[in-house]
Parts: sequence; structure tokens; C-alpha cells
Amino acid sequence: MTKFYWILAVVAVAGIAAVGYSVGSGTMGKAATEPVEVEGLDQMETLVSMAQGITKGDPDAPITIAEFSDYQCPGCGAFVLTVKPQIELNYIQNGKAKFVYYDFPLISIHPYSFLAARAGRCANDQGKFWEFQNIIYRNQSTWVTKTSVEGDFVDYAVQAGAEKKTFEACLKSDAHADVVSANLRLAEELGIEGTPTVMISMGRGMARRLMSFDYASIRDAIETLVAESRAASGAQTDTTTAPGS
Amino acid sequence: MSTSQAPPLNRMVIAILSMAGLFVALYLLASKLGLTGPLICGIGECATVQASRWSTVGPVPVSALGAGGYIALLAVSLFGLQPAGLASRTVSALLLGLSAVALAFSAWLTFLEAFVIRAWCQWCVISAILVAIIFVAALAEVRRLRGRSEA
Repeated sequence: MTKFYWILAVVAVAGIAAVGYSVGSGTMGKAATEPVEVEGLDQMETLVSMAQGITKGDPDAPITIAEFSDYQCPGCGAFVLTVKPQIELNYIQNGKAKFVYYDFPLISIHPYSFLAARAGRCANDQGKFWEFQNIIYRNQSTWVTKTSVEGDFVDYAVQAGAEKKTFEACLKSDAHADVVSANLRLAEELGIEGTPTVMISMGRGMARRLMSFDYASIRDAIETLVAESRAASGAQTDTTTAPGS
Repeated sequence: MSTSQAPPLNRMVIAILSMAGLFVALYLLASKLGLTGPLICGIGECATVQASRWSTVGPVPVSALGAGGYIALLAVSLFGLQPAGLASRTVSALLLGLSAVALAFSAWLTFLEAFVIRAWCQWCVISAILVAIIFVAALAEVRRLRGRSEA
């Protein structure tokens, strides 16, 4: 009987050690879930260089469609799943415009949004950002209600085609916390208050913020911008050619 | 009814395996609660299984139910090893009942892994194997006591 209790004690000690170590090491390597302090963001130059968006389409396309988004925001999910495909079809695939995604995690109301933004960046490391984004938005109603979402994000990344261990290591760290924090700061500096916020610009011209984010509004805004640009260049041509005429 | 008898080996096996199973369940539970890093998963897709909608029953993680089941099996089997419980047929019946429920639950989870989630979690498989052995030991224990009383 004594031998039995020895065996039981060994199993108990081994179990406590294994689970204890796992919890301890997990705590030490905890994923960054909130914005971090980034030095120099007070200076616009540093902020712009740090707050990198993720671009889809021809980088030299004349029109830029920028979106500031929060993964926990239902409207952002609707935008990505229903409006963005139309933008891609009519403007991105034919090289008329490029789409640039910026993170704007509203952590005061969406506790997982910062982690989700980092997860997106971790997927981007493996070239799977857009695939991951579609999956995470498609499953938004599932993971937002959970007490822990890291496992879900890993699952979505694997579905998106990312290598699991690499993604996990990235997620379970503070990787990209600085870039996401800079994105957040940029959105605040631009006076953006909600998500999704869509802005369009032509060339190096001033970006225009759209009041609504349905496809028709975006299409109309782009067409207006293009027409204005043509009119401006036409007027410039007239001015240039006038003396010789 | 005699109380001087050899220690019931089946109950010892159940106690040791329940203790091991308890820590497997606690590890899965800690991971589900976000207290650990990613699950160590040499074989299978633990994250997929853990992230599936089947990893909870209502708001309760399946691993918490598993931990509760193992604690119950451990407590009953340890009581059955004390002088007061050594010859108890109630203990044997309880062990068989608990392990039968655990086996049915494990079989359902294994079915889900194979045909619904289509991913395996090595820790869930280990737990299912432990439960199966516990059930066999509980069955053998009932038969042992029945054989003794018939003799």
C-alpha cells in the first residue's frame, strides 16, 4: 500500500510541476494586448514613419483608399466582407487604386481589438494578412464572446495558411505592438473617432474623409476626385498653352 | 463479509490514472483560460480543437468538466482504499457509474474531433485513453467484488 501512495505522490508532484511550469512560462511570455509607449510619436515625421499601413494593390496607383479599422467592430467586419470586395474588383485589381489598411483598435470598448490587430500583423509577417483578416471578420461573432481568444486567432491564422508555431510565437509576444500603437496614435492625430473610417486621396493630395462607408459613397467620392483632378489638370493645361495660342 | 483482504489493485489503478488525468484536464483548462502559452501539441491541432465551439458546454470549458470528473473518481477510489471502504460494493458501483459517464463523454468528444472538428488534440486523446482504462478497471473491480460475494 505504501508503494501505491509513493506512486500517487510522484504523479501528483510531476503534474503540479508540469502545469505550474506551463502557467509560469505562459505568464512570462504574455501577449501584448494594450498599446505601448513608443518614443518619438509626438513628432509627426516619426509618427508617419512608424504608423505603417498594410497595402493591397499597385503601390504606384494614383488613388489611395485608406481604411482605419477595429477587428471587434461589427461595421468594420461588414465593410471588409461586403464593400471591400467591390472596391477590389473595380479599383484595386485594375490598378486604378490601392487599398491601405490601418489599425485603430478602440480598446476602451473592445478588449481584444489590440491583440487582434497584432495578430493581423503577425499573419502579415507570413504574407497572409488579407486571408487572415477575412477569416477573423467572418468569425467575429464567435470569438468576441470568449474569455480567451488567442487559440482562436492561432486557428484562424492556420486556416489562412500561416505557419502555426511562427504565428504563435509572434502572437505570444509584444511583436508589432509599437506599430499598432503608432497606427492608433495616427488615427487620433487625424481626429478619427469611429470605425470604420474610409479616406481617399489622389496622388499626394489631401486625403478626404468619407462620411459613410457603403460602396456607392466610396465610388462617388472617387469619381468626384478623379473629375476634379482632370478639371484641375485641364485648367493647368489651358493656362500653360494660352500664351502660345 | 471479511475486511482482511489484499489491497484492491483496480482501485489503485483508478486513483493513479485519475490523478494523471486531472493534471491533463488542468493543463487544458489553464490553456483555455489563457493562463499558459500555446498548448504543447506535437501531434494534431490542439489549438483548432481548443478554439472550436465544442470546447465548451455552455459557458463551461469541457476541460473543467473533465477535471471535475477526475476529482470525483480520485476521491471515490481513495475512499475505497481506506479500511472503511475496502469491501464497499457502493464504491465499486460509483466508480463504474462515474467512469461509464466519463467514457461516454470522451467517446462523444472523440467523435467530434474525428468527424466534426476534423482535428485531433493529443491531450484529449490521452484523456480518452485514460478514461477507457479507468472504465475497464472499474468494470474489473465490480466483477471482483461480485465474484467474492458469490464465493
